[in-house]
Amino acid sequence: MHLTYLANISRFIPELILVVLMIGLILIETTYNEDQKDKKYIFISVAIGLALTLIALITNFSGKAEAIFSNAIVIDPFSTMMKIMMVIGTFFSIYLSRISKDIYETLKTEYAVMAIGILIGGMLLASANNMLILYIGIETLSILSYVMASFKKNDERSSEAGLKYSLYGGLSAGIMLFGMSHIFGVMGTIQFSGMGQAIQNLNSQQTLILMPSFILFFVGIGYKIATVPFHMWAPDVYEGSPTPVTTLFAIVPKLAGISALIRITIIFFSAKSMIRIEWIGMIMAIAALTMTVGNVTAIGQKSVKRMLAYSSISHAGIMIAGLVMVNEIGIRSVVFYGITYVFMTLVAFYVTSIVEDKYGNDHFDRFKGLAYRYPLMAITMSIVMFSLTGLPPFAGFVAKFNIMTSLISSKNFSLAIILGLNSVVSAYYYLKIVKLMTLKQSDTNEEIQSFGFLNQMIIIGLTVPVIFLGVFWENIFSLANGAKIFIQ
Amino acid sequence: MYGLDLLSWILWMPFIGMIVVLLMPKANERAIKTWALVNTIMSFLLTIVLYMKFDTTLSGMQNAFNVKIPWISQFHINYALGVDGISLPMILLTGLLFMLSILSSWTQIKKSIKGYFALLLLLQFTVFGVFMALDFFLFYVFWEVMLLPMFFLIGVWGGENREYAAVKFFLYTFFGSILMLVGIVALYFATGQSENSFSILALSGGHFTHNTLSLFGYTLSFSRLFFIFMFIGFAIKVPVFPFHTWLPHAHVQAPTAISVILAGVLLKMGTYGFLRIAFPIFPDSAKYFSEAIAWLGLINVVYGALCAMAQTDVKKLIAYSSVSHMGFVMLGLASMTIQGVNGAVLQMFNHGTSTAMMFFLIGIIYERSHHRWIVRPDGTPGFGGLYTKLPVYSIIFIIGMFASMGLPGMSGFISEALIFIGIYEKFTTITVLALFGLLIGAAYLLWMFKRMFFGEVNPSIKDYTDMTKLEIFYMVPLCVAVIVFGIFPSPILNIMKASVGQLVSLLATF
Repeated sequence: MHLTYLANISRFIPELILVVLMIGLILIETTYNEDQKDKKYIFISVAIGLALTLIALITNFSGKAEAIFSNAIVIDPFSTMMKIMMVIGTFFSIYLSRISKDIYETLKTEYAVMAIGILIGGMLLASANNMLILYIGIETLSILSYVMASFKKNDERSSEAGLKYSLYGGLSAGIMLFGMSHIFGVMGTIQFSGMGQAIQNLNSQQTLILMPSFILFFVGIGYKIATVPFHMWAPDVYEGSPTPVTTLFAIVPKLAGISALIRITIIFFSAKSMIRIEWIGMIMAIAALTMTVGNVTAIGQKSVKRMLAYSSISHAGIMIAGLVMVNEIGIRSVVFYGITYVFMTLVAFYVTSIVEDKYGNDHFDRFKGLAYRYPLMAITMSIVMFSLTGLPPFAGFVAKFNIMTSLISSKNFSLAIILGLNSVVSAYYYLKIVKLMTLKQSDTNEEIQSFGFLNQMIIIGLTVPVIFLGVFWENIFSLANGAKIFIQ
Repeated sequence: MYGLDLLSWILWMPFIGMIVVLLMPKANERAIKTWALVNTIMSFLLTIVLYMKFDTTLSGMQNAFNVKIPWISQFHINYALGVDGISLPMILLTGLLFMLSILSSWTQIKKSIKGYFALLLLLQFTVFGVFMALDFFLFYVFWEVMLLPMFFLIGVWGGENREYAAVKFFLYTFFGSILMLVGIVALYFATGQSENSFSILALSGGHFTHNTLSLFGYTLSFSRLFFIFMFIGFAIKVPVFPFHTWLPHAHVQAPTAISVILAGVLLKMGTYGFLRIAFPIFPDSAKYFSEAIAWLGLINVVYGALCAMAQTDVKKLIAYSSVSHMGFVMLGLASMTIQGVNGAVLQMFNHGTSTAMMFFLIGIIYERSHHRWIVRPDGTPGFGGLYTKLPVYSIIFIIGMFASMGLPGMSGFISEALIFIGIYEKFTTITVLALFGLLIGAAYLLWMFKRMFFGEVNPSIKDYTDMTKLEIFYMVPLCVAVIVFGIFPSPILNIMKASVGQLVSLLATF
């Protein structure tokens, strides 16, 4: 028994590296004097650690899929793929935290430590193969998130964000746990694969009991992804939290939640069962609602971060729409969507964060005339906005196209049309930023220091995949197609 | 060898031009302008070469030019280009108008020269793409990418209310194309994701007559539903009533060259979409809805003309006249007879030249007057007696106006006559009513002319100078085109004849 555990550890190296990195960072931090500002070794170790994690993950990707630690954790191409995207997102959010004034100098190390903690939680969630690990993953993710949301101690809104997040989070975790215990009571197992088999043999009475528990179970995950109607916390938290934290929130928990949801959907509802129809109906309704509510409320926003928060809600809705067909076509389109979403979100938040730092707030007007001062930044931001809208030849279009394809492959025309119309609605508020940047003249001619050469290069570098995936998406799409889920 | 074919050269020439413009230093405005001009001249010459090599006896896509390179092989998406008798006139028109637009922008555009010319070349690239694409996905990509340069060209270099116009234009077109996208994907699955799922040619021929689908719980005919979707997508571009409201704004706010391209080329993308996609793929539905299309066309003709008559802004007047003239194209398409469709395609070409003339001329007078009021909002005339001050301008204006009106001997006459011949047998009532539209058309143009060019000399026009050599230079090709094709339309008619015949015979079988 112990020997197999040890043998399994080789597949768990990415997570272990992160744990070591987390502890290491705390130790390195103690070697600095209080007044030393540029703690560059911290960042260098983060970079090295995450690079090693990435390498370990890529090695895992080609290895065979298996369930380790007594089937508690599953290492398959799908989870590895999602983890790679999470690592990329975390790395860039930590870099952003270094250049952002939103994070106090003294808290920069804490930021890195907690971001890595959230990453570990997210990775657990992506790999979870039973209810317990799922719950542990969500809690690891959440508890650190509550702290991070209130990172800006002197800012009321940040404290409010942290409190709101933890209240909502605690409640939904409780509801979820209640649902889980109910499911365990009926099925007698916490193992996903066992539950998946049990679901096929349920009679109608058991289905009747189980469906409410599944809904309760969904609440927990839905809350993490911020689906309607569990999205209320998201705009406040996104707006109140420091921007690098928001960036992290928009990527890691979202991707982790989506991957957990995908795994659950595939394992539980691949085979025909009575509960499957109800579940799919629920997912459909939630997807349509999430897209629409996210988009419609985004229109009226005055703060760019808040607008991006609502837009990220609607993107989550689109990703969930890919789950309606419980099959591989749906999964690959969601994975592809996730990949493009990470890059688009990063660019959007980088530019927003830098502009916000300069002016102290992220009101739309701050973007006025950016094209005449920083044309490259305005172009990249415009590209990303058009991409988020879903305009070719950018990645966002291909991603939406794939989701639409998977919807129509199962003759789900109504949801496809709703998705399409939502893109038109979203065009309105994304265009607003483009319009302000390019069509208006700026009031000031001030320089924005953070748009230095290096940062501009990084932002452009992050935009390249957005264009590249829009034109030559075949290879990445095959990669997403290869991200299969392993059931055991 | 791949990539060395004529169509790819035409398509990518403006793109190369755009890249070079982007690499040029911002301050060297003259070099940028010259390069943009050279680039569009090269494109135009290449389209002439295409015209020379074109075999007028063949119907359908000409194998000599076809290109097909796999792009996304998993989905059977190809980079497929082709040209036939319907797209060739449009490609020629695109080549010509963009070249002239660069000349007209020479003095009129003053801010951010580099960005303007780069976007203009990008626009040309996408327009060529739309007219050449044989792969539905590729077509859609070009159709959508076209929005980006247009948004900025209207939004940055436009008039006072430019932002509103740009956003409205963007949202309208985007809405239409999303419906089209749903149709594209639905077709992909209806053909069983086979080799030809995105090939426009392979989809054509009415394979979907008997398919059904269910939407929001209702069972609908596949063909009817997606015909309507595509129809809306293209109709917004044409624009067909009631989707026309973006057009006057976009036209009034856009700079001259962009108005020319919008009216001359982009509106034709809509009707081209009917001819290339909506009609061939869903011939049964096209037939089924033909009367409705004809009525919409009639509304366009009459309503556009009436609106034009009420305008006091001369650019808006011409914008509404475009709505009216595109109505004739719709009528020709709805007739589904050889003469009618030939007339429609010819009208697409002729309207491109004559409206381009009108918009150029308005741009020229605007550069002198800085306003476009026939009658100012306070009731005083904006112009008057221009004929005495600007004789050359007036003569060219008369040519453009009569071509636009459809006076016999001018290009507009032939195409409108063909359309009426084609439609008379089918929808007699509509024909008779549409003739009134023609009458109103003559009325508003002549009335406008009277108010602007005759009568008392308005004191404000005293300092106006007549057209410069450059302005005359870029108006001449269009003058020649409207007169020559009015007397001798066969060079254009011959190239489209075979392809139109094929389309009409396809429609006749349903």
